[in-house]
Amino acid sequence: MSASTTSVRGTASRGASATTFRPGSKRQHEVTRLLPVPMLAIILTVLCAIVLIPVAYIFLASVNSDIGVASGEFWPSTFSMENYTKIWSSVGLAKGLTNSVLVAGATAVVSAAMSVSIAYVLVRYQFRGRLSILRGLLALQSVPGTLMVLPVFVLFSSAASYLGVQVIGTQWGLFITYLTFAMPFSTWVMVTYLRGLPRELEEAARIDGASNLGVLVRIILPLSWPGIVVSGIFAFLLGWNDVLFASVMTRPDSQTAAVALQIFGASQEGGAIPLYGQMMAASLVCAAPVVILYLIFQRYLVGGLTAGGVK
Amino acid sequence: MSTDSFREMKAMTGPAAEGQPARSGTNAQAPDGGTSPSAGTGTIQPAGRGKKPVRRKGLSERNRPLWMLIPGGLLMFVIIVLPLFLGIYMSALNLDQYSLRKWVSAPFIGVGNFVEALTDSPLLHSVWLSVSYSLIAMIVTLPLGIAAAVATQNRFKGRAVIRSIFLIPYVLPSFVVATVWRTMFQPNGVVDSALGTFGMDAGLWLNGPQTYWTLILVQIWASWPFIYLLALSGLQSVDHEVHEASALDGALWWNKLRYVIFPYLKGPLALAFLIGMLHHINNFTLPFVLFGVPAPADVEVLPILTYVTSFQSFRFGLSAAMAFVSLVLIAIPLFIYLCAVKLDDAETPGGKK
Repeated sequence: MSASTTSVRGTASRGASATTFRPGSKRQHEVTRLLPVPMLAIILTVLCAIVLIPVAYIFLASVNSDIGVASGEFWPSTFSMENYTKIWSSVGLAKGLTNSVLVAGATAVVSAAMSVSIAYVLVRYQFRGRLSILRGLLALQSVPGTLMVLPVFVLFSSAASYLGVQVIGTQWGLFITYLTFAMPFSTWVMVTYLRGLPRELEEAARIDGASNLGVLVRIILPLSWPGIVVSGIFAFLLGWNDVLFASVMTRPDSQTAAVALQIFGASQEGGAIPLYGQMMAASLVCAAPVVILYLIFQRYLVGGLTAGGVK
Repeated sequence: MSTDSFREMKAMTGPAAEGQPARSGTNAQAPDGGTSPSAGTGTIQPAGRGKKPVRRKGLSERNRPLWMLIPGGLLMFVIIVLPLFLGIYMSALNLDQYSLRKWVSAPFIGVGNFVEALTDSPLLHSVWLSVSYSLIAMIVTLPLGIAAAVATQNRFKGRAVIRSIFLIPYVLPSFVVATVWRTMFQPNGVVDSALGTFGMDAGLWLNGPQTYWTLILVQIWASWPFIYLLALSGLQSVDHEVHEASALDGALWWNKLRYVIFPYLKGPLALAFLIGMLHHINNFTLPFVLFGVPAPADVEVLPILTYVTSFQSFRFGLSAAMAFVSLVLIAIPLFIYLCAVKLDDAETPGGKK
């Protein structure tokens, strides 16, 4: 590092910035500047355009007529909100959203509860195999879903034929699957969070005679709400965003919103003019809960992401 | 490093054990501390009350609540580990839609599926597609993410809004992203008409050989914020002194970035590269919703091929063999990642907060 800074010294002339730097002053601001202002403006404008044009298009197309979308209009020639009333029955979004909220919500709550207890044991206790479990949690996050979907499907249908428990086609099957696949990452988020908590309170509670469970419920839980919320939200998103398992393991009446939208989109092929407006309206409705969750908990979520280092 | 925290545990139990004789005063309080939490979750741990006297003797050694690992561990074993081995076993069976129900008695054909997958199926083509598309998408997202991180590092008016905007593609569900781009890429759709105003005719986006680049484009749009996030976390680790030093030296902005700032980003970006590759190779939803099944041959990436082979062609054994090959492929970046990542940073001396 020092070598590279000295090499800089040779190439550059001394500027006017070599005065004292008071934190918070304008000059201090100048010191940490990385880019010249025009450059900054160009980068920000280009990136914002890249992001916002498609996002704006979702809304604009959802209030446009199908013919307008099909002919490539960006700005609608006619405005109409009726797509937003049609999608509930035509796409099956009412049913889909209910199922999604149920399954993803239950996954979030249970996964957060289980991951906090697992993470607590992993962070605060020493035992043989602890590091292997930590490493295993990271590895399990990257197991591809397409690898798992067939065996899990076979496992569940075997449960039906050998044990008489019908799992395929119910919300339970999806719930158990999402819960399991959410757990490694949720636990990892909690592990990184709990590491930051001071031990002193727990020690004090133990001296007062609290049991392991007592410490977890009375000390850890109240202190780690932000971490619990983050790990719950990630579990929720996993359930909400999944298409793979839901497309294989649901019947029409247990479909999630993601599958409902995907099937609706695929069924539009080959018809006259696809119902683009409704597709975009449904997309927006499916994205809304996720974006709202993200905006509310943005600070925590970003921290959890970089801490976990994984989506 | 583990011995250090172990010593802490010992030290922690010391007062608890020594406090035992003097406990008579706090005895009235102790049942309260023990019962009310376990009353809430009493069904989970019926043995908790019986163990109590043992715990008082050696807290760290005897009474580690390892049972808390059991529910989650059991679940992960039944739904992930067991199916993983089931999948490997299935790859040696001749399974189709008729024998699937009774897969236990399906004919065992050894490595037959693997031979067919490697010689007589689009598997190798799919491996090539998956790896090349992931790499290209990754190489383009790196500069985008770095530029975004560098541009939003310094405070300016509206920075919070811009940071939120940058993360939108990342938080939008994949199936929504794919549905929207699929609409935009329709023939004569909004992309074509936009290009048309510049006099360009790009041809078909959702059919034919160009689909490969469509997939890459959409993948880039959806995943560059991830690089941005990790680059940002790298930038925040740059000490203020470093900024001061390079300002004192009067470094030009480009030289400062190149020689002073970018070295800080190497670690986070290497991590982002590995994880990003894993995500791209594993991405099923994006190509599935963007192109539908059966997908055009130029975007038949590994997840799509595996899915189509089992749920469209009903060649379950062959599909399990393909899935196994993709697991081997995944194992390479995954192994590097697991070796590089620090599992226990908080436990190292000085790292404790």
